[in-house]
Amino acid sequence: MGYARFLIGKTISYVLALFAAVSLLYVGIYPSLQRVIEGSADEAASEFQRNLVKSHTGLTLPQIAAAVATFKSNYLAAFGFNQPYPVKFGLQMLNLFEFHLGSAYNLQAPDGSKQVADLIIAYLPNTVVLFTTGTLLVVAVGAILGLLAAKSAGGKFDKSIPIIAVIHSSIPAFWIGFLLIAYFAYTLNWLPSGGISSIDVAAGVLPHFTDFLWHLTLPLLSFFIVSVGGFAYVVRSLVISTMGEDFVTTARARGMTDRRLIFKHVLRTASPGIATQSILAVAGSFGGAITLEVVFRWPGLGFLTFAAIQISDLPVILGTTFILTIILFLGLYIGEIAYGFLDPRIKTGD
Amino acid sequence: METTRTERSYAREFLKSRSGVAGLAILIILLATSIYVVAGIPSSLNTKWENSKAWEGNPQAAPPVWVNYLGVDAPQTLDVNLDKFTGTSGSSSAYSSTQTFTWNNDVPPSNLVLTPNFGGAAYELDVIWTKPDGNVVQIALSFPTSGTEYDIHTAAVSQSLTKYIQSQTGTFVTVVTPNGELAALFSNDGPRLLNNSVQKGTYSVTLQILGDQTLSPSSSQVSLVGDSYGTMGTDSYGRPIDLGVLAGLPWALELGTIASVLSVVGGILWGGLAGFYGGWRDKVMSWGTLVILAVPGISFIIALSFSVQLSLLVEALVIAALSWPGFAIIARTVTLSIRSQTYIEADRAMGISSTRTFLTHVLPRLTPVTIAFTALSVSGVIIFAETLAFLGIEPGNVITWGGILNEAITADSSLHGWWWWTLFPGIMILVASLPFVLIGFAVDRIVAPRVSAK
Repeated sequence: MGYARFLIGKTISYVLALFAAVSLLYVGIYPSLQRVIEGSADEAASEFQRNLVKSHTGLTLPQIAAAVATFKSNYLAAFGFNQPYPVKFGLQMLNLFEFHLGSAYNLQAPDGSKQVADLIIAYLPNTVVLFTTGTLLVVAVGAILGLLAAKSAGGKFDKSIPIIAVIHSSIPAFWIGFLLIAYFAYTLNWLPSGGISSIDVAAGVLPHFTDFLWHLTLPLLSFFIVSVGGFAYVVRSLVISTMGEDFVTTARARGMTDRRLIFKHVLRTASPGIATQSILAVAGSFGGAITLEVVFRWPGLGFLTFAAIQISDLPVILGTTFILTIILFLGLYIGEIAYGFLDPRIKTGD
Repeated sequence: METTRTERSYAREFLKSRSGVAGLAILIILLATSIYVVAGIPSSLNTKWENSKAWEGNPQAAPPVWVNYLGVDAPQTLDVNLDKFTGTSGSSSAYSSTQTFTWNNDVPPSNLVLTPNFGGAAYELDVIWTKPDGNVVQIALSFPTSGTEYDIHTAAVSQSLTKYIQSQTGTFVTVVTPNGELAALFSNDGPRLLNNSVQKGTYSVTLQILGDQTLSPSSSQVSLVGDSYGTMGTDSYGRPIDLGVLAGLPWALELGTIASVLSVVGGILWGGLAGFYGGWRDKVMSWGTLVILAVPGISFIIALSFSVQLSLLVEALVIAALSWPGFAIIARTVTLSIRSQTYIEADRAMGISSTRTFLTHVLPRLTPVTIAFTALSVSGVIIFAETLAFLGIEPGNVITWGGILNEAITADSSLHGWWWWTLFPGIMILVASLPFVLIGFAVDRIVAPRVSAK
């Protein structure tokens, strides 16, 4: 009961937050968005004109021109042009959420489509794969490392965790990518320097999958290296501070073993905090994951954004920004739900 | 009285932390370097940096000079100055100047740049190049212009050198590569000229200028462009990496400091007030935090940069406006634990205004965390801004490490093995953010137990 109420409350709050975040984004990109919409209108209008001329409708040139003008003004009206700002805002937000993102200036999806939505659909799965696997790996390994460090607090292993965290906090993810490429790809020749697949792969599902994993290794490793230290440090601090609480001292006095104590009680108490930190870690490492795609030419949204920046393909940039906002939002939402699931106070309806 | 004592004890404890002191030392060095850069490097470097013509005299994509100590033979640039001209003037004038130099490297230089300087009109310019074995290579240029740089890519130079190669190898050559031209100038002669090793010893260069009576030669130069440069090498335009790495420092520190102070102070106040007020105000403010947290900072600034002209201040403001939520969340948690303390309840019972309670009791307890966060956040902002620059989003007219790395990846530097181009700017990002992380962690370790103990 308590969890269901928590879930509904959080969902409403998150949906409102997403709407607010996209509104903010809308304000930030307002001038460029208008330019992009006008450009799309022009392109759609000339397409319409070509079709009219081709299909021999028997219309005279002035009639065609008039029809095209009407078409264009209808197109712009659908995006709220020539209407008061609130209506314009409403219509354009609606179009954003319906993924009517217009067509790219130059970039093309692998199937040749220039629609921004198609481009994003083509590149999105690769980002999701890299980012989700990376985050899960970091959270799992980071939590274990942090726990082990806390268990042997003051020991050699424990002392190395802050050092790793310091290094993690001062190195940009993409530079780690550079170093790993230089070493593993160009010096040792073990792993590919970038891309997502080789040209000469044997037919069949398994060889393709292995080839995919082979290409995934280095980007994933870079993501892992820059993120795991900071996360392990946070887990360690949370666990150590929980170990100092009265109930732990009491349990120790009652003769409970360390192992049982840590896994049954300390971890249980610290896990909501760990979930909160995971949420922050997800938000924080997001940007880094995007740049890794550039370094490894991993065909995800970050790579798409970089390609769009290079040639100032504005519609694509606006589209990817919008989609990345939604992805980040989903990541945060999942983290929050996990938090609610872990915190016993929420389950009991406190 | 009591607060000053705690502050002093904080300082004493900080000075006991080795990593904190190390961070402070690095920071002082960085600040001193910044002052040196601001005072010593003219701001015109920013425009010169983008002008690829200005760097043509430097070796391109050359490793640092010190690779010579690692067993790599990478000669440095050698300038042969020809300033003492002797000759006759009359209705037709002829002047010449000779200079010798020693070449002891196993490889030839990467280019030869000839820059004649003279007043008046010249008909012809000849370079008479005598190798250690006595063989003479002659390069002839018709109607040279003063101050122009002629190098091995100049057609007339290629032609002269092709002729020499033909005379040595006895075969007809149509296409000569730059390496072949350098071999003509530096390799052991004979039919296998193009494959022979470099002649070591004393070379002699004579510059001969022919012209009318107005001709008056002044100091000219033959530059043997090397294959190594400076402490950090050059990029593919010949720009020295060490210069770029130095020039990027003040910008990074300034941006990092402004943005992080703004975001930490804003975040702490926001989260502190939310936790202190509680109730519906806490709910609304925490929701506001979530809204900003859900905005992907890097993409947002990329999109924004197409609507707004970025400058250091604008970029700092935008980064601050997007990065405060993390601090707000932690400040709120800390404040929640303070709120239930008896001294706050006492204040409330005594009818003291909540603003005053916040200022006198809550804020002072948030100050130590604020210092730790600010330090940690500077490094975060530096990395964030360099990441943006790496993606190609930076204010115009500044040199950034991210921008240098962006050019490196565009030029496929890893593929070509130009490691110095990516190594040093990256190390510089590390060095610039490291002291802040060290100080931040040290302060955090000192203040964290007190916060939870109270």
